[in-house]
Amino acid sequence: MKKPVLRVFSFFFFLTKRSRRTRVFFFFSFLPVLISLVFKMDQVFKATSASVMPTFTSIILLFELQFLILILALFFGTSICSEDIEGKTLSYITTRPVSKPAIVVGKYLAYTLITILMAGAGTIFSFLILNAERLLQPSLYLELFRALAVLSLGLMTYNAFFTFFGAVFRRAIFFGLIFGFGWENVIQYFPGSTQRFTIVHYLKSLLPYSGSKVSILTFRLEPTAPGLAVLALFLITAVFLGLACLVFSWKQDIPED
Amino acid sequence: MTAVIETRSLSKWYGNVLGLSDVSLSIEPGVIGLLGPNGAGKSTFLKLITGQLKPSIGGARVFGQIIWNNPKLFSRIGFCPEADAFFEDLTGWEFLVNLLRLHGFPGAEAKRRSERALEIVELVKDKDRLIRAYSRGMRQRLKFAQAIAHDPEVIILDEPMSGLDPLGKRKFIRLIRDYRGEGRTIIVSSHVLPEIEALTKNIILIHQGKILATGDIHDVRELIERHPHIISLRVSDRRRLAGRLVKEDFILDVRFEKRPDTLVIETRQRDKFFSLLPALVLEEQIEVEEITSPDDNLQAVFDYLVGK
Amino acid sequence: MGIRKKGYEHWDGTLMEHRHPWWPITRLGIKLAFRKKSFKFVFAGAFLPAFVFLAGVYISERIEDFQNMFHSSSSQKFFEVNPAFFRTYFSNDSLLFLMIMIMVFAGAGLIADDLKFNSLQIYFSRPIRKKDYVLGKCAVLLFFLLLLTVVPGLLFIIFKMVFAGSFRFILDYPWLPFSILGYSVFLSIFITLYTLLLSSLNRNRRYVSILIFAVYIFSEILYGIFYERFREQYFSLLSIKSNIQQIAAFFFRVRSPFRVPVVYSFLILTAIGLISVAVMRKKIRSVDVIK
Repeated sequence: MKKPVLRVFSFFFFLTKRSRRTRVFFFFSFLPVLISLVFKMDQVFKATSASVMPTFTSIILLFELQFLILILALFFGTSICSEDIEGKTLSYITTRPVSKPAIVVGKYLAYTLITILMAGAGTIFSFLILNAERLLQPSLYLELFRALAVLSLGLMTYNAFFTFFGAVFRRAIFFGLIFGFGWENVIQYFPGSTQRFTIVHYLKSLLPYSGSKVSILTFRLEPTAPGLAVLALFLITAVFLGLACLVFSWKQDIPED
Repeated sequence: MTAVIETRSLSKWYGNVLGLSDVSLSIEPGVIGLLGPNGAGKSTFLKLITGQLKPSIGGARVFGQIIWNNPKLFSRIGFCPEADAFFEDLTGWEFLVNLLRLHGFPGAEAKRRSERALEIVELVKDKDRLIRAYSRGMRQRLKFAQAIAHDPEVIILDEPMSGLDPLGKRKFIRLIRDYRGEGRTIIVSSHVLPEIEALTKNIILIHQGKILATGDIHDVRELIERHPHIISLRVSDRRRLAGRLVKEDFILDVRFEKRPDTLVIETRQRDKFFSLLPALVLEEQIEVEEITSPDDNLQAVFDYLVGK
Repeated sequence: MGIRKKGYEHWDGTLMEHRHPWWPITRLGIKLAFRKKSFKFVFAGAFLPAFVFLAGVYISERIEDFQNMFHSSSSQKFFEVNPAFFRTYFSNDSLLFLMIMIMVFAGAGLIADDLKFNSLQIYFSRPIRKKDYVLGKCAVLLFFLLLLTVVPGLLFIIFKMVFAGSFRFILDYPWLPFSILGYSVFLSIFITLYTLLLSSLNRNRRYVSILIFAVYIFSEILYGIFYERFREQYFSLLSIKSNIQQIAAFFFRVRSPFRVPVVYSFLILTAIGLISVAVMRKKIRSVDVIK
């Protein structure tokens, strides 16, 4: 299965790079860079030496974790199983010597890599701008690496989850929005183990600043241990990607009513 | 000769709608025309034998193996779908090369095969244009190119000539005829008899999800010939024309319609009638305003075959 | 021999003088929206805030009977039906969120699908103009939005008077129905133009659905980020929701939630509407230019 997966990955990575929509999402992903520039200019003009880490935290937490990666995963994740059916190009792929699970996994890897590159590029540039005067401090890069790792894990997990949505639901976007901006937000206000029924809980457990109060987002985080959180994310990814492969294997090329 | 494609009691329902019913066929190498009106079940049959659809009852085998969820077989099968859909952000060249790489061909081989396929379909000079800028004819040819680029033994073409102008159709027919190779199996579906007739003598007639007839096209043509044709004419002087036509022994019936200028002819030899008509109207100085065939010939054959 | 007569039949009737060419487009759009089961579910759910507030109207006339519900005078104040009550209903998060969800369902594909399937050529081969087409599409969304705003708003007034058994409420606030109408129309037109702007930008309905939601939420997050850093209320102008809340406060003559002149909010939302009109003029054409 490895080689067919790589072939599918390569095909869809190439195709998505060329797509106009990808450019629009890249622009979205670079909005934190514009925000960082504004903050940095403000800091320079006011000649303050206040730490910018809380700013970086609020950009990551607010914008990227709870918005950008959700939007990226919602679009790209649900596209994996449904875009070729909607676009009537499914037969070009399924009449090649690649199995349907290989198609799902290959596309998933391609879209996950692209979304990680999108979110990662914006994060790296924001970080470098906000920490321009401290770039020679090695410890700084640990924070950047942790942020990138959390975003990557988030995209990996959300993409797998929404791939399953795309395979099962006709209105995958609707259910995805309800889950991503309804369930994931609301449940965070619940104490105890209920928070563990969200993906964002495990992501926030991996960030050191999640205990700090952010005015727009007041929540009681009872974090899971980092090792367990990573394991949970991988488990969610594997389960939902597996289910998506299973459902897609039985998909037929029937025009939607 | 061993059958390349075999179906046994192949049936497919879409909910309560019957797509295909109890089709048992053995298809041997050669060119086969799948003929039937719109909605007859041609696309359903082709999708079943290419593994796009799962049979509700029965099964389909290609090269002796079940086709459903058996992707390995697709290195030997080429499929040209009916839908006019592409990855529009790609050029024709990129489309072919990338699909060939999905087959597992290394880069250089994929490029070589793409070049060859584009030469066959005469799209070399447009290969670097985006597919969204292609005309309908170019898109159909590109679809054919992706079906043949990996040199499959079985080529399945679902309405490959739909939407083409007459010149485009002639080019396409020539393409398919040129591509017939030793031992290849090519199945072409259409609802237009002359298109199939230009390609092959072997046809499968399908209607309302059922196979009505299989075999030589001449046998089917004879059925058409035996079945009387009705031709309606609107002319300036129908009585004079009727007087001339009634003398011909291949004219079975001549009727005057309620409209004062309309004449209806019944004949078993359509071609003979149309050969005679121009000379007649010139000789008699009769103006012809309209010629129609109220009965659809293919439908008439099917009605005849199902005993209507 | 020339062709003297064509075979088709001529219609001898006369075309109506006062035609509404946009009406068939609107009627079809509404019909197609209601065909989807999930849309019916979401649209019905969008009336939930109205029912909650209607219950509030009822409780406001029966305060004595519901004394147990109130732990403090401030919670009792919540059930006072006054202009602030209407402002709260019309600018509350859940109603705005549901309106956006309805736009995702009913509005994302309105123009995007026509672009995808090249239907514009079919539309403009009929005797309709571009503005009839746009008006027809707008009217589909306005229908749903006005049902969610004008109808509950006016019903609150009616039920308030019915429960109170007097016309005192309307005599105290005679301008309120006009405020409800004015705000509902402004809000509905803005959300309609916002939705159609995004729908005309791309042929992929899924992508447009996400954009409709994402731009709305992003504007709110952007305000949150800048406010968190600079603590300046002027950043509320970045948020679509905040601008809507400002305008609601203006229409219902209550204190603005942000210390920012209301005229700026009007200008921003109007500018978005004008951009929408300009983009639609460019995108909606019968000939597709392929570059």
